[in-house]
Amino acid sequence: MMKPALLVTLLLTNAPMWAHHSFGAEYDANKPITLTGVVTKVEWTNPHSYFYMDVTDKDGKVVNWKFEGFPPNVLYRTGWKREVTLKAGDAITVTGWLARDGTAWAHSREVTFKDGKKLFFGPPAGTGDGGNVPPVSQP
Amino acid sequence: MTHRCLVLIGAVAVAGAALAQPRPIPRTADGKPDLTGVWQGGSNRVGTWEEANSPAAGAEFGIGRGQLAAGAALPAREPPPYQPWAAKKVLEFYNRRGIDDPEARCVPPGVPRITTIGLFPMEIVQTPKKIVMLYEVFGVFRPIPIDAKHPEDLEPSYMGDSVGHWEGDTLVVDVTSFNDKTWLGPVGSFHTEALHVTERYTRTDYNTIRYDVTMEDPNVFTKPWNTHSTIMLRPGTRLREYECSENNADMERYEKLLKDDSVFRRK
Repeated sequence: MMKPALLVTLLLTNAPMWAHHSFGAEYDANKPITLTGVVTKVEWTNPHSYFYMDVTDKDGKVVNWKFEGFPPNVLYRTGWKREVTLKAGDAITVTGWLARDGTAWAHSREVTFKDGKKLFFGPPAGTGDGGNVPPVSQP
Repeated sequence: MTHRCLVLIGAVAVAGAALAQPRPIPRTADGKPDLTGVWQGGSNRVGTWEEANSPAAGAEFGIGRGQLAAGAALPAREPPPYQPWAAKKVLEFYNRRGIDDPEARCVPPGVPRITTIGLFPMEIVQTPKKIVMLYEVFGVFRPIPIDAKHPEDLEPSYMGDSVGHWEGDTLVVDVTSFNDKTWLGPVGSFHTEALHVTERYTRTDYNTIRYDVTMEDPNVFTKPWNTHSTIMLRPGTRLREYECSENNADMERYEKLLKDDSVFRRK
């Protein structure tokens, strides 16, 4: 069974650019995560927006995670409203992929809200890093 | 009575046939195909932005919803014909997973790459003497005078200098005077200031522009590189602002990563 992240990378091999920078340099497509927590801050900035979320582990320890995603223009176009859709205090679940530096930081993909509604906060894994097939054959 | 019935049936049949007809390609007063509108490059899906780009019901990822464009079955694309030394350089960029992408520094992406960035719409404004292409990404624009010559005082630039002319129903745009600081599309697809790009925009149906590109750069290619894609009409979409340099954290993060590229480099 192919992992979803790998499947997307393959699909994107011949696909357009969906981000302004490399996914693969900063994030690991082989390390998908799903986290549930409470939003502490949202930053609508270019070229990427961010939100921060307190996640409590099974021992009760709280870690503040950073998630990177689309710029505001893309968020507006895909159904987000600043200071309405996502606010500090909201409980959400987010899927994404871990940053390579091992800190509490991830590339975000899908956010699930308390009422079950789902929206993408960021692009799929593998954007901008060349995918699985090199653009030229070995010389 | 029978006659009336036949007339009625005939009228319904004609109306039905008219409904089934595809919408005609709009034309300007001078008879050219009118490319005016908001479009999405790098897509082959018909519909509004939401219809063409939202996830299919039940699908985990938002790729591949929407009706395929009539001209979507394009021939396979050829790989860039880099000279061996240049192909090695491209592979090195690929193995570094695109960390060297000039776009990450928020500079304009050049031509034809800008036409394939599907995340952001572009707008075409057409007049008989000038066509203007506006791009949401990086807020850049291309004035394209029709039947004009390139100016003589050009300096190398990110987006180059564009002039256009019509060949039948195809808009042909000649782009020259590039700097060597952009990629053509795929990861690592570098070029030199000798780059010469010829774009051909053909509105093949109401929803679709077929986009054919020839890239010539004898310094890096063994022959001209031809590629193609489709640009899809996006009714109801408008261009918004994208100002890339506001909070670009990538450069600082890349600096840390580049201290040891084994962290991200392809094995």
